[in-house]
Amino acid sequence: MKFKVPIFDVKNLNFIVRGQKILSDISFEIFEGEYIAIIGPNGGGKTTLIRMLLGLEQPTSGEIKIFGKKLKNFKEWYKIGYVPQRATLVDENFPATVEDIVKMGRIAKRGILAGISSEDKAMVEDALAKMDILDLKDKMVGTLSGGQRQRVMIARALASSPKILILDEPNTGVDMVSQQRFYTLLAKLNKEDNITILFITHDIGVIADDIGRLFTINQKATICNDPKKMLSCEEVSELYGIDAHALHHHKHEH
Amino acid sequence: MFEMFEYDFMQRAFVAGLFIAVLASISGNFIVLRRYSLMSETLAHSALVGVAVGLVAGYNPLWVAVGVAIGAAWLIEYLRSAFSLYSDAILAIILSGSLAVAVIIVSLGGAFNNSLFSYLFGSILSVTNEDVITIVIVGSISLLFLLLFSKELYFIAYDEEVAQTSGIKVKFLNFLLVSVVAIIIALSIRVVGSLLIGALMVIPTVAALQYRVGFRNTMLISLFFALFSVIFGMSLSYYYSLPSGATIVLSIIVIFIISLIINKK
Repeated sequence: MKFKVPIFDVKNLNFIVRGQKILSDISFEIFEGEYIAIIGPNGGGKTTLIRMLLGLEQPTSGEIKIFGKKLKNFKEWYKIGYVPQRATLVDENFPATVEDIVKMGRIAKRGILAGISSEDKAMVEDALAKMDILDLKDKMVGTLSGGQRQRVMIARALASSPKILILDEPNTGVDMVSQQRFYTLLAKLNKEDNITILFITHDIGVIADDIGRLFTINQKATICNDPKKMLSCEEVSELYGIDAHALHHHKHEH
Repeated sequence: MFEMFEYDFMQRAFVAGLFIAVLASISGNFIVLRRYSLMSETLAHSALVGVAVGLVAGYNPLWVAVGVAIGAAWLIEYLRSAFSLYSDAILAIILSGSLAVAVIIVSLGGAFNNSLFSYLFGSILSVTNEDVITIVIVGSISLLFLLLFSKELYFIAYDEEVAQTSGIKVKFLNFLLVSVVAIIIALSIRVVGSLLIGALMVIPTVAALQYRVGFRNTMLISLFFALFSVIFGMSLSYYYSLPSGATIVLSIIVIFIISLIINKK
Protein backbone atom coordinates (compact mmCIF):
# COMPACT_ATOMS: atom_id res chain seq x y z
CA MET A 1 0.00 0.00 0.00
CA LYS A 2 1.33 3.44 -0.88
CA PHE A 3 1.22 6.23 1.68
CA LYS A 4 0.04 9.64 0.59
CA VAL A 5 3.29 11.43 1.43
CA PRO A 6 6.27 9.88 -0.36
CA ILE A 7 9.68 9.78 1.33
CA PHE A 8 11.17 11.31 -1.81
CA ASP A 9 9.18 13.29 -4.35
CA VAL A 10 11.44 14.29 -7.23
CA LYS A 11 10.12 16.48 -10.03
CA ASN A 12 11.81 17.47 -13.30
CA LEU A 13 15.33 17.34 -11.94
CA ASN A 14 18.08 18.64 -14.21
CA PHE A 15 21.78 18.89 -13.52
CA ILE A 16 24.14 20.61 -15.92
CA VAL A 17 27.86 21.05 -15.26
CA ARG A 18 29.93 23.30 -17.52
CA GLY A 19 27.39 22.94 -20.30
CA GLN A 20 27.26 19.14 -20.05
CA LYS A 21 23.92 17.59 -19.12
CA ILE A 22 24.45 15.02 -16.36
CA LEU A 23 20.80 14.43 -15.45
CA SER A 24 17.83 15.34 -17.59
CA ASP A 25 14.22 15.73 -16.48
CA ILE A 26 14.24 13.09 -13.73
CA SER A 27 10.94 12.54 -11.89
CA PHE A 28 9.93 9.80 -9.46
CA GLU A 29 8.45 9.11 -6.05
CA ILE A 30 9.70 6.71 -3.40
CA PHE A 31 7.26 5.44 -0.79
CA GLU A 32 7.77 3.92 2.63
CA GLY A 33 8.56 0.19 2.59
CA GLU A 34 9.84 0.09 -1.00
CA TYR A 35 12.95 -1.79 -2.07
CA ILE A 36 14.53 -0.06 -5.06
CA ALA A 37 17.74 -0.65 -6.97
CA ILE A 38 19.39 1.90 -9.24
CA ILE A 39 21.52 0.66 -12.12
CA GLY A 40 23.22 2.39 -15.00
CA PRO A 41 26.57 2.83 -16.71
CA ASN A 42 29.50 4.58 -15.05
CA GLY A 43 29.15 8.32 -15.53
CA GLY A 44 25.40 7.94 -16.14
CA GLY A 45 24.54 10.11 -13.11
CA LYS A 46 23.55 7.51 -10.46
CA THR A 47 25.79 8.86 -7.70
CA THR A 48 24.98 12.47 -8.67
CA LEU A 49 21.28 11.70 -8.26
CA ILE A 50 21.84 10.17 -4.80
CA ARG A 51 23.97 13.17 -3.77
CA MET A 52 21.16 15.50 -4.82
CA LEU A 53 18.63 13.54 -2.79
CA LEU A 54 20.94 14.03 0.21
CA GLY A 55 21.48 17.75 -0.39
CA LEU A 56 25.17 17.32 -1.21
CA GLU A 57 24.70 18.69 -4.75
CA GLN A 58 22.31 21.39 -5.91
CA PRO A 59 20.22 20.64 -9.03
CA THR A 60 20.29 23.14 -11.90
CA SER A 61 16.49 23.02 -11.90
CA GLY A 62 13.69 20.88 -10.52
CA GLU A 63 12.41 20.10 -7.05
CA ILE A 64 13.11 17.53 -4.37
CA LYS A 65 10.75 17.02 -1.45
CA ILE A 66 11.63 14.77 1.50
CA PHE A 67 8.75 13.57 3.67
CA GLY A 68 6.64 16.29 2.06
CA LYS A 69 9.07 19.13 2.85
CA LYS A 70 11.26 21.01 0.40
CA LEU A 71 14.84 19.76 0.75
CA LYS A 72 16.15 23.10 2.07
CA ASN A 73 13.53 23.05 4.84
CA PHE A 74 14.05 19.40 5.77
CA LYS A 75 15.72 19.03 9.18
CA GLU A 76 15.09 15.44 10.27
CA TRP A 77 18.13 13.97 8.54
CA TYR A 78 18.38 11.16 11.09
CA LYS A 79 15.42 9.60 9.23
CA ILE A 80 17.79 8.95 6.33
CA GLY A 81 20.66 6.47 6.68
CA TYR A 82 23.39 6.93 4.07
CA VAL A 83 26.24 4.56 3.25
CA PRO A 84 28.54 6.14 0.63
CA GLN A 85 30.44 4.40 -2.15
CA ARG A 86 33.81 4.51 -0.42
CA ALA A 87 32.42 3.33 2.93
CA THR A 88 34.51 0.18 3.10
CA LEU A 89 37.71 2.03 2.13
CA VAL A 90 38.43 3.02 5.71
CA ASP A 91 41.60 4.92 6.62
CA GLU A 92 43.40 2.19 8.55
CA ASN A 93 45.02 4.71 10.89
CA PHE A 94 41.76 6.39 11.89
CA PRO A 95 41.37 5.91 15.66
CA ALA A 96 37.94 4.30 15.82
CA THR A 97 36.55 1.12 17.28
CA VAL A 98 33.46 -0.42 15.72
CA GLU A 99 31.41 0.99 18.59
CA ASP A 100 32.88 4.51 18.03
CA ILE A 101 31.66 4.42 14.42
CA VAL A 102 28.19 3.07 15.19
CA LYS A 103 27.73 5.65 17.98
CA MET A 104 28.17 8.39 15.34
CA GLY A 105 24.75 7.36 14.05
CA ARG A 106 23.20 8.65 17.27
CA ILE A 107 24.83 12.12 17.24
CA ALA A 108 22.30 13.82 14.97
CA LYS A 109 19.43 12.64 17.18
CA ARG A 110 20.91 14.08 20.36
CA GLY A 111 21.15 17.68 21.52
CA ILE A 112 24.58 19.32 21.79
CA LEU A 113 24.74 19.13 25.55
CA ALA A 114 23.17 15.69 25.86
CA GLY A 115 25.40 12.80 26.81
CA ILE A 116 24.90 9.23 25.68
CA SER A 117 21.55 8.07 27.07
CA SER A 118 20.47 4.52 27.84
CA GLU A 119 18.30 4.72 24.69
CA ASP A 120 21.39 5.61 22.62
CA LYS A 121 23.27 2.65 24.07
CA ALA A 122 20.34 0.32 23.39
CA MET A 123 20.03 1.53 19.77
CA VAL A 124 23.78 1.09 19.18
CA GLU A 125 23.66 -2.47 20.60
CA ASP A 126 20.56 -3.21 18.51
CA ALA A 127 22.22 -1.99 15.31
CA LEU A 128 25.35 -4.04 16.09
CA ALA A 129 23.21 -7.12 16.78
CA LYS A 130 21.18 -6.67 13.56
CA MET A 131 24.39 -6.61 11.56
CA ASP A 132 25.75 -9.55 13.55
CA ILE A 133 28.87 -7.63 14.67
CA LEU A 134 28.24 -7.35 18.41
CA ASP A 135 31.38 -9.41 19.07
CA LEU A 136 33.47 -6.93 17.04
CA LYS A 137 32.43 -3.78 18.90
CA ASP A 138 35.80 -3.20 20.59
CA LYS A 139 37.85 -3.98 17.48
CA MET A 140 39.58 -1.19 15.56
CA VAL A 141 37.64 -0.65 12.35
CA GLY A 142 40.86 -0.50 10.28
CA THR A 143 41.63 -4.15 11.15
CA LEU A 144 38.33 -5.53 9.76
CA SER A 145 37.71 -7.23 6.41
CA GLY A 146 35.76 -5.47 3.63
CA GLY A 147 32.57 -7.40 4.46
CA GLN A 148 32.83 -6.61 8.17
CA ARG A 149 33.44 -2.91 7.46
CA GLN A 150 30.39 -2.89 5.22
CA ARG A 151 28.24 -4.17 8.09
CA VAL A 152 29.75 -1.58 10.47
CA MET A 153 28.81 1.22 8.07
CA ILE A 154 25.26 -0.06 7.74
CA ALA A 155 25.03 -0.44 11.54
CA ARG A 156 26.05 3.23 11.86
CA ALA A 157 23.31 4.21 9.42
CA LEU A 158 20.78 2.01 11.28
CA ALA A 159 21.65 3.45 14.71
CA SER A 160 19.59 6.58 14.05
CA SER A 161 16.48 4.41 13.36
CA PRO A 162 16.15 5.63 9.76
CA LYS A 163 13.03 5.30 7.65
CA ILE A 164 15.13 4.88 4.52
CA LEU A 165 18.57 3.44 3.89
CA ILE A 166 20.47 4.81 0.88
CA LEU A 167 23.52 2.84 -0.24
CA ASP A 168 25.86 3.78 -3.08
CA GLU A 169 27.52 0.67 -4.54
CA PRO A 170 28.02 -0.80 -1.09
CA ASN A 171 29.78 -3.92 -2.36
CA THR A 172 32.96 -2.13 -3.46
CA GLY A 173 35.87 -4.11 -2.00
CA VAL A 174 33.67 -6.87 -0.59
CA ASP A 175 34.06 -10.61 -1.36
CA MET A 176 31.30 -12.72 -2.99
CA VAL A 177 30.22 -14.52 0.21
CA SER A 178 29.82 -11.20 2.03
CA GLN A 179 27.88 -9.79 -0.93
CA GLN A 180 25.31 -12.60 -0.74
CA ARG A 181 25.03 -12.11 3.01
CA PHE A 182 24.63 -8.38 2.42
CA TYR A 183 21.66 -8.79 0.08
CA THR A 184 19.99 -11.19 2.52
CA LEU A 185 20.45 -8.57 5.26
CA LEU A 186 19.00 -5.80 3.10
CA ALA A 187 15.94 -7.88 2.23
CA LYS A 188 15.47 -8.71 5.94
CA LEU A 189 15.69 -5.03 6.95
CA ASN A 190 13.12 -4.19 4.30
CA LYS A 191 10.67 -6.97 5.16
CA GLU A 192 11.01 -7.25 8.96
CA ASP A 193 11.83 -3.65 9.95
CA ASN A 194 9.93 -1.96 7.10
CA ILE A 195 13.00 0.13 6.24
CA THR A 196 12.81 1.56 2.73
CA ILE A 197 15.89 0.59 0.73
CA LEU A 198 17.39 2.57 -2.16
CA PHE A 199 20.71 1.43 -3.50
CA ILE A 200 23.01 1.67 -6.48
CA THR A 201 24.38 -1.61 -7.76
CA HIS A 202 25.92 -3.38 -10.73
CA ASP A 203 24.73 -6.83 -9.59
CA ILE A 204 21.46 -6.82 -11.53
CA GLY A 205 21.18 -10.60 -11.73
CA VAL A 206 21.66 -11.13 -8.01
CA ILE A 207 19.09 -8.59 -6.90
CA ALA A 208 16.37 -9.31 -9.48
CA ASP A 209 14.30 -11.55 -7.20
CA ASP A 210 14.26 -9.26 -4.16
CA ILE A 211 13.71 -5.74 -5.41
CA GLY A 212 10.36 -4.08 -5.93
CA ARG A 213 11.37 -1.51 -8.54
CA LEU A 214 14.40 -0.89 -10.71
CA PHE A 215 15.55 2.59 -11.75
CA THR A 216 17.84 2.81 -14.75
CA ILE A 217 19.78 6.06 -14.76
CA ASN A 218 21.68 7.10 -17.85
CA GLN A 219 21.19 10.87 -17.93
CA LYS A 220 17.48 10.11 -18.08
CA ALA A 221 15.57 7.79 -15.74
CA THR A 222 13.64 4.72 -16.78
CA ILE A 223 11.63 2.97 -14.11
CA CYS A 224 10.95 -0.77 -14.24
CA ASN A 225 8.00 -1.50 -11.96
CA ASP A 226 8.31 -5.27 -12.37
CA PRO A 227 11.96 -6.18 -12.03
CA LYS A 228 11.18 -9.86 -12.69
CA LYS A 229 10.56 -8.77 -16.23
CA MET A 230 13.45 -6.35 -16.20
CA LEU A 231 15.22 -8.13 -18.99
CA SER A 232 12.40 -7.04 -21.24
CA CYS A 233 12.90 -3.44 -20.16
CA GLU A 234 14.44 -1.85 -23.18
CA GLU A 235 16.85 0.34 -21.21
CA VAL A 236 18.23 -2.59 -19.18
CA SER A 237 18.80 -4.69 -22.27
CA GLU A 238 20.45 -1.73 -23.96
CA LEU A 239 22.74 -1.14 -21.00
CA TYR A 240 23.67 -4.70 -20.14
CA GLY A 241 22.78 -6.62 -23.31
CA ILE A 242 23.69 -10.29 -23.22
CA ASP A 243 25.40 -9.85 -19.84
CA ALA A 244 22.04 -9.20 -18.22
CA HIS A 245 20.68 -12.52 -19.47
CA ALA A 246 23.82 -14.33 -18.39
CA LEU A 247 23.73 -12.81 -14.90
CA HIS A 248 20.06 -13.55 -14.48
CA HIS A 249 20.33 -17.17 -15.59
CA HIS A 250 23.46 -17.68 -13.52
CA LYS A 251 21.52 -16.56 -10.44
CA HIS A 252 18.70 -19.01 -11.07
CA GLU A 253 20.99 -21.96 -11.68
CA HIS A 254 22.17 -21.80 -8.02
CA MET B 1 64.93 20.05 40.21
CA PHE B 2 62.20 21.89 42.09
CA GLU B 3 64.31 24.96 42.83
CA MET B 4 63.27 26.37 39.46
CA PHE B 5 59.77 26.84 40.89
CA GLU B 6 61.16 29.32 43.41
CA TYR B 7 61.16 31.84 40.57
CA ASP B 8 57.92 33.61 39.73
CA PHE B 9 58.66 33.53 35.99
CA MET B 10 58.99 29.73 36.06
CA GLN B 11 55.70 29.35 37.92
CA ARG B 12 54.02 31.52 35.29
CA ALA B 13 55.71 29.67 32.43
CA PHE B 14 54.62 26.29 33.82
CA VAL B 15 50.98 27.31 34.34
CA ALA B 16 50.87 28.74 30.81
CA GLY B 17 52.84 25.84 29.33
CA LEU B 18 50.68 23.09 30.87
CA PHE B 19 47.51 24.87 29.80
CA ILE B 20 48.86 25.19 26.27
CA ALA B 21 49.81 21.49 26.24
CA VAL B 22 46.17 20.59 27.02
CA LEU B 23 44.77 22.99 24.39
CA ALA B 24 47.27 22.09 21.66
CA SER B 25 46.94 18.33 22.06
CA ILE B 26 43.12 18.22 22.26
CA SER B 27 42.66 20.55 19.27
CA GLY B 28 45.53 18.74 17.50
CA ASN B 29 43.49 15.52 17.43
CA PHE B 30 40.84 17.13 15.24
CA ILE B 31 43.39 19.01 13.14
CA VAL B 32 45.40 15.88 12.32
CA LEU B 33 42.35 13.69 11.64
CA ARG B 34 40.89 16.38 9.35
CA ARG B 35 44.23 16.41 7.41
CA TYR B 36 44.63 20.04 8.50
CA SER B 37 48.15 19.59 9.90
CA LEU B 38 49.59 22.35 7.74
CA MET B 39 46.74 24.62 8.89
CA SER B 40 48.27 25.01 12.37
CA GLU B 41 51.60 26.01 10.81
CA THR B 42 49.89 28.54 8.54
CA LEU B 43 47.85 30.11 11.34
CA ALA B 44 50.97 30.36 13.49
CA HIS B 45 52.69 32.35 10.75
CA SER B 46 49.57 34.52 10.40
CA ALA B 47 49.64 35.15 14.15
CA LEU B 48 53.14 36.47 13.64
CA VAL B 49 51.67 39.33 11.58
CA GLY B 50 49.60 40.22 14.66
CA VAL B 51 52.69 40.05 16.85
CA ALA B 52 54.54 42.35 14.45
CA VAL B 53 51.67 44.86 14.39
CA GLY B 54 51.43 44.71 18.19
CA LEU B 55 55.15 45.26 18.68
CA VAL B 56 55.38 48.14 16.20
CA ALA B 57 52.11 49.85 17.20
CA GLY B 58 52.51 49.30 20.94
CA TYR B 59 49.47 47.09 21.49
CA ASN B 60 49.50 43.77 23.36
CA PRO B 61 50.86 41.41 20.64
CA LEU B 62 48.86 38.49 22.05
CA TRP B 63 45.47 40.08 21.38
CA VAL B 64 46.42 41.39 17.93
CA ALA B 65 47.76 37.90 17.10
CA VAL B 66 44.43 36.35 18.14
CA GLY B 67 42.52 38.71 15.81
CA VAL B 68 44.82 38.23 12.82
CA ALA B 69 44.94 34.43 13.23
CA ILE B 70 41.12 34.22 13.33
CA GLY B 71 40.94 36.44 10.22
CA ALA B 72 43.44 34.17 8.43
CA ALA B 73 41.50 31.04 9.48
CA TRP B 74 38.28 32.46 8.03
CA LEU B 75 40.08 33.53 4.85
CA ILE B 76 41.41 29.98 4.39
CA GLU B 77 37.96 28.44 4.90
CA TYR B 78 36.41 30.98 2.51
CA LEU B 79 39.01 30.35 -0.21
CA ARG B 80 38.62 26.59 0.26
CA SER B 81 34.85 26.68 -0.22
CA ALA B 82 34.50 29.51 -2.75
CA PHE B 83 37.25 28.64 -5.25
CA SER B 84 38.41 25.39 -6.77
CA LEU B 85 41.91 25.65 -5.33
CA TYR B 86 44.02 22.90 -3.77
CA SER B 87 43.77 23.16 0.03
CA ASP B 88 47.50 22.68 0.62
CA ALA B 89 48.29 25.32 -2.01
CA ILE B 90 46.02 27.85 -0.21
CA LEU B 91 47.82 27.11 3.05
CA ALA B 92 51.26 27.47 1.44
CA ILE B 93 50.29 30.87 -0.05
CA ILE B 94 48.91 32.25 3.23
CA LEU B 95 51.85 30.84 5.21
CA SER B 96 54.58 32.45 3.11
CA GLY B 97 52.52 35.60 2.52
CA SER B 98 52.01 36.08 6.26
CA LEU B 99 55.70 35.65 7.00
CA ALA B 100 56.56 38.19 4.29
CA VAL B 101 54.08 40.73 5.70
CA ALA B 102 55.36 40.19 9.27
CA VAL B 103 59.00 40.68 8.27
CA ILE B 104 58.19 43.89 6.35
CA ILE B 105 56.20 45.32 9.29
CA VAL B 106 58.95 44.66 11.84
CA SER B 107 61.65 45.93 9.44
CA LEU B 108 59.77 49.17 8.78
CA GLY B 109 58.94 49.55 12.46
CA GLY B 110 62.46 48.76 13.63
CA ALA B 111 61.23 46.03 15.96
CA PHE B 112 63.65 43.32 14.78
CA ASN B 113 65.06 42.54 18.20
CA ASN B 114 65.04 40.03 21.04
CA SER B 115 61.36 40.60 21.64
CA LEU B 116 60.50 39.26 18.18
CA PHE B 117 62.94 36.36 18.64
CA SER B 118 61.02 35.25 21.74
CA TYR B 119 57.76 35.26 19.76
CA LEU B 120 59.36 33.15 17.04
CA PHE B 121 60.83 30.44 19.25
CA GLY B 122 59.18 30.88 22.64
CA SER B 123 60.68 32.13 25.86
CA ILE B 124 59.83 31.12 29.41
CA LEU B 125 61.16 34.48 30.60
CA SER B 126 58.66 36.46 28.57
CA VAL B 127 55.41 35.08 30.07
CA THR B 128 53.74 37.85 32.07
CA ASN B 129 50.94 37.63 34.65
CA GLU B 130 48.62 39.19 32.10
CA ASP B 131 49.57 36.46 29.60
CA VAL B 132 48.79 33.72 32.12
CA ILE B 133 45.37 35.20 32.90
CA THR B 134 44.58 35.58 29.18
CA ILE B 135 45.73 32.02 28.42
CA VAL B 136 43.68 30.52 31.29
CA ILE B 137 40.45 32.45 30.58
CA VAL B 138 40.43 32.41 26.76
CA GLY B 139 41.93 28.92 26.72
CA SER B 140 39.19 27.57 29.03
CA ILE B 141 36.47 28.91 26.71
CA SER B 142 38.22 27.34 23.71
CA LEU B 143 38.59 24.03 25.54
CA LEU B 144 34.92 24.09 26.51
CA PHE B 145 33.95 24.45 22.87
CA LEU B 146 36.19 21.57 21.80
CA LEU B 147 34.79 19.27 24.48
CA LEU B 148 31.19 20.35 23.83
CA PHE B 149 31.40 19.55 20.12
CA SER B 150 33.96 16.75 20.29
CA LYS B 151 31.55 14.06 19.07
CA GLU B 152 30.40 16.18 16.12
CA LEU B 153 33.99 17.17 15.24
CA TYR B 154 35.04 13.53 15.45
CA PHE B 155 32.20 12.54 13.09
CA ILE B 156 33.19 15.30 10.63
CA ALA B 157 36.83 14.15 10.80
CA TYR B 158 35.71 10.61 10.01
CA ASP B 159 33.53 11.52 7.03
CA GLU B 160 32.47 15.09 6.34
CA GLU B 161 29.76 14.20 3.82
CA VAL B 162 28.15 11.48 5.91
CA ALA B 163 28.18 13.88 8.88
CA GLN B 164 26.45 16.50 6.72
CA THR B 165 23.80 14.04 5.57
CA SER B 166 23.19 13.18 9.24
CA GLY B 167 22.15 16.78 9.86
CA ILE B 168 25.37 18.03 11.46
CA LYS B 169 26.16 21.68 10.71
CA VAL B 170 29.48 20.90 9.08
CA LYS B 171 30.24 24.34 7.64
CA PHE B 172 29.48 26.11 10.92
CA LEU B 173 31.56 23.66 12.96
CA ASN B 174 34.46 23.87 10.49
CA PHE B 175 34.52 27.66 10.93
CA LEU B 176 34.31 27.34 14.71
CA LEU B 177 37.10 24.74 14.78
CA VAL B 178 39.53 26.83 12.73
CA SER B 179 38.65 29.89 14.83
CA VAL B 180 39.38 28.04 18.07
CA VAL B 181 42.60 26.64 16.63
CA ALA B 182 43.61 30.17 15.61
CA ILE B 183 42.98 31.39 19.17
CA ILE B 184 44.94 28.50 20.71
CA ILE B 185 47.88 29.13 18.38
CA ALA B 186 47.95 32.84 19.19
CA LEU B 187 47.83 32.07 22.92
CA SER B 188 50.68 29.60 22.59
CA ILE B 189 53.29 31.71 20.83
CA ARG B 190 54.65 33.23 24.08
CA VAL B 191 55.72 29.83 25.38
CA VAL B 192 56.29 27.71 22.28
CA GLY B 193 56.86 30.34 19.60
CA SER B 194 54.98 30.88 16.36
CA LEU B 195 57.44 28.82 14.30
CA LEU B 196 57.12 25.80 16.60
CA ILE B 197 53.53 25.68 17.91
CA GLY B 198 52.39 23.66 14.87
CA ALA B 199 54.59 20.81 16.06
CA LEU B 200 53.02 20.76 19.54
CA MET B 201 49.58 20.50 17.93
CA VAL B 202 50.39 17.82 15.40
CA ILE B 203 53.11 15.53 16.79
CA PRO B 204 51.43 14.36 20.07
CA THR B 205 48.42 13.14 18.04
CA VAL B 206 50.57 11.49 15.36
CA ALA B 207 52.58 9.75 18.12
CA ALA B 208 49.36 8.65 19.89
CA LEU B 209 47.93 7.27 16.62
CA GLN B 210 50.80 4.76 16.50
CA TYR B 211 49.21 2.90 19.45
CA ARG B 212 46.08 2.12 17.33
CA VAL B 213 43.47 2.59 20.03
CA GLY B 214 40.00 4.21 19.94
CA PHE B 215 39.46 7.97 19.75
CA ARG B 216 39.07 8.61 23.48
CA ASN B 217 42.30 6.78 24.31
CA THR B 218 44.16 8.42 21.41
CA MET B 219 43.14 11.80 22.85
CA LEU B 220 44.30 10.84 26.36
CA ILE B 221 47.65 9.50 25.12
CA SER B 222 48.30 12.64 23.04
CA LEU B 223 47.43 14.77 26.08
CA PHE B 224 49.92 12.84 28.23
CA PHE B 225 52.64 13.19 25.57
CA ALA B 226 52.04 16.94 25.23
CA LEU B 227 52.11 17.51 29.03
CA PHE B 228 55.28 15.44 29.40
CA SER B 229 57.07 17.22 26.57
CA VAL B 230 56.14 20.66 27.91
CA ILE B 231 57.37 19.80 31.44
CA PHE B 232 60.55 18.17 30.14
CA GLY B 233 61.17 20.82 27.49
CA MET B 234 60.68 23.77 29.86
CA SER B 235 62.98 22.17 32.42
CA LEU B 236 65.68 21.80 29.72
CA SER B 237 65.04 25.40 28.70
CA TYR B 238 65.58 26.58 32.30
CA TYR B 239 68.75 24.56 32.99
CA TYR B 240 70.48 25.10 29.65
CA SER B 241 69.13 28.60 28.81
CA LEU B 242 67.63 27.41 25.53
CA PRO B 243 64.48 28.68 23.75
CA SER B 244 61.56 26.80 25.35
CA GLY B 245 59.76 26.19 22.04
CA ALA B 246 62.75 24.33 20.63
CA THR B 247 63.28 22.12 23.70
CA ILE B 248 59.53 21.29 23.91
CA VAL B 249 59.34 20.35 20.23
CA LEU B 250 62.50 18.22 20.38
CA SER B 251 61.06 16.42 23.44
CA ILE B 252 57.85 15.55 21.60
CA ILE B 253 59.81 14.42 18.52
CA VAL B 254 61.77 11.98 20.72
CA ILE B 255 58.44 10.63 22.06
CA PHE B 256 57.19 10.28 18.48
CA ILE B 257 60.28 8.31 17.41
CA ILE B 258 59.99 5.99 20.44
CA SER B 259 56.26 5.48 19.67
CA LEU B 260 57.09 4.65 16.05
CA ILE B 261 59.73 2.09 17.03
CA ILE B 262 57.73 0.26 19.72
CA ASN B 263 54.60 0.08 17.52
CA LYS B 264 56.36 -1.00 14.33
CA LYS B 265 54.16 -3.53 12.47
